[in-house]
Amino acid sequence: MATSAIIFYTIAGVMIIFSLLAVTSRRILRAAVYLLFALAGTAALYFMIDYQFLAAVQLIVYAGGIVVLIIFSILLTTHINEKLEKPAPGKVFITAVLTLGGFVLTVYTLSQHNFIVSDLPQTEATVSHIGEKLLGYGEGGYVLPFEVISILLLAAMIGAIVIAKRKASDS
Amino acid sequence: MSLNELMIMRHELVLVAAVLALLIIEIGMPEERKQKINVFAAIIAATVTIIGFLPADTGMLFGGMYSTDPLRMLMKNILNIGVFLIILQSVNWLRQDLYKDRSSEFYLLTFSSLIGVSYMISAGHFLMFYLGLELTTIPIAALASYEQFKSKSAEAGIKLILSSAFSSAILLFGISILYAANGDLYFESFQLSDSLINVLGFIFFFSGLAFKISVVPFHLWTADVYEGSPTNVTSYLSVISKGSSVFILTIVLFTLFRVIQPLWEDVLYATAILTMTIGNLFAIRQQNLKRFLAFSSIAQAGFIMLGIINGTSLGMTTVIYFVVIYVFSNLAAFGVLQTVGHASGKLTMDDYNGLYKTNPQLSLVMMLALFSLAGIPPLAGFFGKFFLFTAVAEKGYYTLLLIAVVNTVISLYYYLLVVKAMFINANENPIASFKSDYSMRISLVICVAGILITGFYSPVFEYIKYLCETF
Repeated sequence: MATSAIIFYTIAGVMIIFSLLAVTSRRILRAAVYLLFALAGTAALYFMIDYQFLAAVQLIVYAGGIVVLIIFSILLTTHINEKLEKPAPGKVFITAVLTLGGFVLTVYTLSQHNFIVSDLPQTEATVSHIGEKLLGYGEGGYVLPFEVISILLLAAMIGAIVIAKRKASDS
Repeated sequence: MSLNELMIMRHELVLVAAVLALLIIEIGMPEERKQKINVFAAIIAATVTIIGFLPADTGMLFGGMYSTDPLRMLMKNILNIGVFLIILQSVNWLRQDLYKDRSSEFYLLTFSSLIGVSYMISAGHFLMFYLGLELTTIPIAALASYEQFKSKSAEAGIKLILSSAFSSAILLFGISILYAANGDLYFESFQLSDSLINVLGFIFFFSGLAFKISVVPFHLWTADVYEGSPTNVTSYLSVISKGSSVFILTIVLFTLFRVIQPLWEDVLYATAILTMTIGNLFAIRQQNLKRFLAFSSIAQAGFIMLGIINGTSLGMTTVIYFVVIYVFSNLAAFGVLQTVGHASGKLTMDDYNGLYKTNPQLSLVMMLALFSLAGIPPLAGFFGKFFLFTAVAEKGYYTLLLIAVVNTVISLYYYLLVVKAMFINANENPIASFKSDYSMRISLVICVAGILITGFYSPVFEYIKYLCETF
């Protein structure tokens, strides 16, 4: 097995383990920390395919920003020692069976497919190249989604204000 | 790219301008005159709707990211009318002291969501489709918890955002599988290869959209969210969100997934039966009228599936025609709920006992709306259902047709329960007589006119048919 394959499977294994821990942990703060490792693993995968820019963004935004935000909101809203309720065994069983069934089905179908390796020349993903694509308006340009995302963010901010605003009589 | 070309994107540009205008008005307006913003918003909504109907060029923009044609324009116009009606119905409710410092946010979020609806319908790329879908849902999740000091409303908000995040994740997984298998994201050049993996991708994709349309078995969030949200947000969810998702589902099935039509016919066949039956059976048991309409709208989604199954331009025509009627009928019913709830705070079926004695006009509107939803001739709902059944019969699915007809009869029973409560049941202290505000009355009049005209005036159907045939 090539070295890159070994590295890949190690990273993938770590990601799977921490993702599982993140969703099964009953302490919410620990779940957030496990999530951090799963996200860092994704960044490592990006490094592996030589996409440094995306890897850096993944580290800064997700591992750095989002997880810290999640931890802050957990600390501000819940007690640190609080544990989630234990789910009923019946529910756990049904969920496990369904999840396993779905997993097997998905993996089986994916493994049956003969993926075609792209014969397009590898483009260099430099920052200037990404910038040109992001703001390009021809075929393969992403300026429209880029602008729509800004509307989405504006709407999300207004939505957050609506949820957080006090009652008129309180102020 | 010239300005002329950009004007192809007129629906969205006008809405973005509307959002910016509202933001500036909100910031610039002195505190004591804030009430005026309701009037501005209604005017803006009317302008947006009218501009949508002006003739315009069609075509593709941004290298295929955005595409529009007369049919998509019509879909956007239908939904624009719906939003205009909802805003008319909300004006008086937002005038309460409780909401006076947050009324502009209501309109901002509604318009933002409508931008999402438009972009979703015009999507020419999976990314645009996904962004449109998110932009449709996220503002509405904030609006669902608009009355955050009521725990039910906060609960509705969190349920909506969690279930829609979940469904988006499933949908994205489906899209990523489809991309991995076919190597393309542009709708124009997208071609399904002949492989089992596409079935898997399609199932995930469909499940994600089925969540938004609240098709059984993806309907579990519906009743709770509809009950907890403010009534006008509920009507937005049941009419605009659902309508837009139905439109894009139809477009996508008829274009991208045309190759695997036998598969999606089977999927729709099963979900249609489940959705109609379960929606109807649960609707019978409801006392709270918002929950009642939630299950009724689930059942209606099942009927819509009947038209899509047909798979020809006739099927598409019946679906769009049915949605037009559904917009008017459902908004009339929700409008009455809204105004009665605002005046008296009452929402259960028993409260409506004897409503005819005190508020005859509202009772009549409600009766027309429910009859139209049930499909009683000569109202528009009858023709809508009739054409859907024709579409199924043409395909030769007689068992499905039989189940649909049985379901129509069941639905007739529970719609009549409400009518009976209003007109026949005696009540010692019925909801007091009250006068609803002007904007509410205008919107109810438009709804009733819509229910009557779309049924009797056949050029409506002919026009939709013509557009679908040329699509």
